[in-house]
Amino acid sequence: MGVEKSSAWQALLEHSKSGVSSEKLVNLFKDKTRSERFSIDLQEMFLDYSKNRITDQTLELLLDLATQQQLPNWIDKLLSGEEVNDTEHRSAMHSALRAGGQGVKGKALEVQGQIESEFEKMSLIVEKIRSGHWRGFTGKPITDVVNIGVGGSDLGPLMMTNALQTIKSPINLHFISSIDGTQTSNILKNLNQETTLFLLASKSFTTIDTLSNAETAKDWLAEVLDDSDTLLSQHFIGVSTKPDMMSEWGIPKDNQLVFWDWVGGRYSMWSTIGLPIALQIGMTGFREMLDGARIMDQHFGEAPLSENIPVLMGLIDVWNINFLDIHAKAILPYDARLKYLPSYFEQLVMESNGKSVNRAGEKVAYKTCPILWGEVGPNAQHAFYQLLHQGTQAVMCDFIAPVERDDFDAHGLTEKEGSLRYQHELALANCFAQSRVLMLGDDAIPISIKEQFNSPFKHYPGNQPSNTILLKSISAKTMGMLVALYEHKTFVESVIWEINPFDQWGVELGKLIAKETHAAIKDTKKAEEFDASTQGLIKRVI
Amino acid sequence: MNVSIFGCELSGLVTAGALAQTGNNVIALPIGNAKVDELSKGKMPRNEPGLTKLIKNQLKGENLTFEEDWRKAVEHSQVLFLSVPSWRLNRAEEVINKIGRYASGEVLVINQSSFPIGTADRFEAKLKLAFAERGLVAKVSVVAMPEFISEGSAISDFTTPDRIVLGSHDLESIKRVKDLMRPFNRITDQFKVMSTRAAEYTKYAVNALLATRISLINELANNAEHFDIDMEEVRQGLGSDSRIGFNYLYPGCGFGGPSFASDVKNLVGTLQSKGYDADLLKAVLSNNETQKEVLFRKAWRFFNTDLRGKTIAIWGLSFKPNTSTVENAPSLRTIEALVAQGAKVKVYDPKAMPDFTMHWRGIGVELVENMYDALEDADALFLMTEWKMFWSPDYALMKSKMKTPVLFDGRNIYDKEVLMGYGFRYFGVGRGERV
Repeated sequence: MGVEKSSAWQALLEHSKSGVSSEKLVNLFKDKTRSERFSIDLQEMFLDYSKNRITDQTLELLLDLATQQQLPNWIDKLLSGEEVNDTEHRSAMHSALRAGGQGVKGKALEVQGQIESEFEKMSLIVEKIRSGHWRGFTGKPITDVVNIGVGGSDLGPLMMTNALQTIKSPINLHFISSIDGTQTSNILKNLNQETTLFLLASKSFTTIDTLSNAETAKDWLAEVLDDSDTLLSQHFIGVSTKPDMMSEWGIPKDNQLVFWDWVGGRYSMWSTIGLPIALQIGMTGFREMLDGARIMDQHFGEAPLSENIPVLMGLIDVWNINFLDIHAKAILPYDARLKYLPSYFEQLVMESNGKSVNRAGEKVAYKTCPILWGEVGPNAQHAFYQLLHQGTQAVMCDFIAPVERDDFDAHGLTEKEGSLRYQHELALANCFAQSRVLMLGDDAIPISIKEQFNSPFKHYPGNQPSNTILLKSISAKTMGMLVALYEHKTFVESVIWEINPFDQWGVELGKLIAKETHAAIKDTKKAEEFDASTQGLIKRVI
Repeated sequence: MNVSIFGCELSGLVTAGALAQTGNNVIALPIGNAKVDELSKGKMPRNEPGLTKLIKNQLKGENLTFEEDWRKAVEHSQVLFLSVPSWRLNRAEEVINKIGRYASGEVLVINQSSFPIGTADRFEAKLKLAFAERGLVAKVSVVAMPEFISEGSAISDFTTPDRIVLGSHDLESIKRVKDLMRPFNRITDQFKVMSTRAAEYTKYAVNALLATRISLINELANNAEHFDIDMEEVRQGLGSDSRIGFNYLYPGCGFGGPSFASDVKNLVGTLQSKGYDADLLKAVLSNNETQKEVLFRKAWRFFNTDLRGKTIAIWGLSFKPNTSTVENAPSLRTIEALVAQGAKVKVYDPKAMPDFTMHWRGIGVELVENMYDALEDADALFLMTEWKMFWSPDYALMKSKMKTPVLFDGRNIYDKEVLMGYGFRYFGVGRGERV
């Protein structure tokens, strides 16, 4: 029996038909205690979920659904390292990576030693590079580090190092991911072989995207360096779950950092894959990020469901998707440093829950993951907010903003500091205004100017649900909390939908067919079996 | 004449000693770490040739007193020297404030310190304001007379100068400074009188030019290696061009010291804060930092990027000969680089080892009492400071002590043919074997 036939689901369906789904948010806010009741604080994070089309009863029924789906049991299984990834027979122990030996049990406890010893090795490498004692082949200190990786081996470090860019780093970081090599050729133009170090980050160490870029990097070094041993020992570090594959490629043992197959690629930022983050903010900063995530892990494991931030956010998404028929979600950070956060969440959420078969292998009869996208809020206001305000799609939004800024002195007296303070206020004002207008629609228009909006083109339907997350500031700790929150929220949804969020079979076939297609580009005879369109395209490029 | 000197670093002490020696009655007040008790006993904070003797003689002759009472120092004289390191500008401000408060009549302040351009004018305005607030009607003048003394030859640099740069707009002040400095201006008139700011800038410009020259010759030497050219031959060709000359034309492992680089750095910083980028000077500075590790890089390649367990002997720690100072010296960066790669380092310097222990907080470095002891079981020797005692060592003894006779010469003082004759591998800067 699918969850959609269950009593808790049916009760929600009934509840939604009873008028709640068409209830206007503006009416719900007649309850003066609503925002206080529908918000929650956790250390340096604050979540306001009151701008959702929910009532106390909705929440009660959603919590019933969670209980019926044995969510507490699933959370326990996840955090203690049980095999929650059943199609690949693995646990998903990203939380174990940040436990620091505290409050863990089961397999998650057993792996603490190996995690710490790998972090110690990572720490030595980080210190050596940051202090200028990792030398290139001519003996000059490494100044530029290029991370070559794709997906989870790219997005996490890319997102996090951008978010924490105000922390001054002695190392210039660069990221290469795309298989086409254009990033590689462009980045290499501005770098010097003497002072450049490459990080090859690949969970399987077979990813063609990464290995092809790595070959190009190797060729570039070989233009000035004959000695291949030195080339590999001073200019390449490998990060992978496959030490043998790294050795085979030529990475010396001392330059290998490992992680394990029980770390999903999109959850691997917390492992040695986070090396670029540690290079940017130091190992101490990296551990602060882990600590932040651990705070969220503990909260997720210990807080009652009704006060549990990832649980509430996950359940509300389920409500929006399955009972209010909303299938798009926008991530809207109001701080340009969080530019890559939407891309990061796209992978985290859609690669996890973009599935239509439940754990038993049966096709599900309900919608699962929404289409998720986003952009730095103030920029998106000039792009797709038009659709949010007046389009035909319902969209749920997550607004994210820092309360304080650490990139300038908030109490500074110079004109520049004054201007930056003003800009920060503007950003927050825009953030709050947008969620308010999305909620209220026409009701947000002040009575004094109502007349000016008397036109069908100036009609704002409103009633678009949203969450607002405020972080005290953007720091390693709060970013750790934020990302862990979305990881767990995604897991919560998967439990309700009865799907496995930790595999990604959907991306495998394309990889395989790409190999076959490449062979056909090399030898067109092999294309004869292909469809006419593909044959036609191949003809145009050979 | 009564003279007060604020600041007892090298420049202040030399000025105090030299002026006392020529019959002035001098009070010197330390600003910073030097202590009056120690100074009064003739204990000098720096190991400068001739300085202890000069100061002791003046203390004995009672022409010189060290004083810690600000008021006494201010009231002692109408001629007051400011002789403070550039990074102690805030202490110099205090001196000006005290002068403004305690001076009872006419004041002539002679600033020898390298402060930002315009500081002398600013100090003068500040004093005038302080006098006006007290209702004191008296003449105030602040002139710039930058010091051009070098460690190791500081006393003769002061007493027989190449030139005395004096910046002032006030004829009366110029006359008084010229009279005070008359004993040091005997052979030909060495005074170059100019505007106050031009005098301040001259100091920066001299150091900028010299630093650029050194960095350029280092770069030319490094490049010469790629073409198998001996830079020493090229140096002869360059120096004999009368437009170029031989001074400051020696390639080596970089310049250091407390003020040379910091003057250039301060100038670059001041310009940047005004929105201008001094591209060339920035390059000069970063080029020099890289050059400080030139011997390390040669050894790095010589030992195939693996220095673990290697023993490296180092001759010379001070940033140049005849000084006990290691501040900003190439030796510091080199030793740090070697130790970070897991090499053992044995060092010898005739004077700078005490100062080195103040600067070096790491492990892995052994200080030895004798230059040959450093060579015991060494895989290579780095010559970093060209002290006279290192110029003609016992090559056979050196070779017998070292595990492998490999010499990296950071000052190009050895003859590669001779060394090769003794069986050494020899690597200089822009000469010798190419790694």
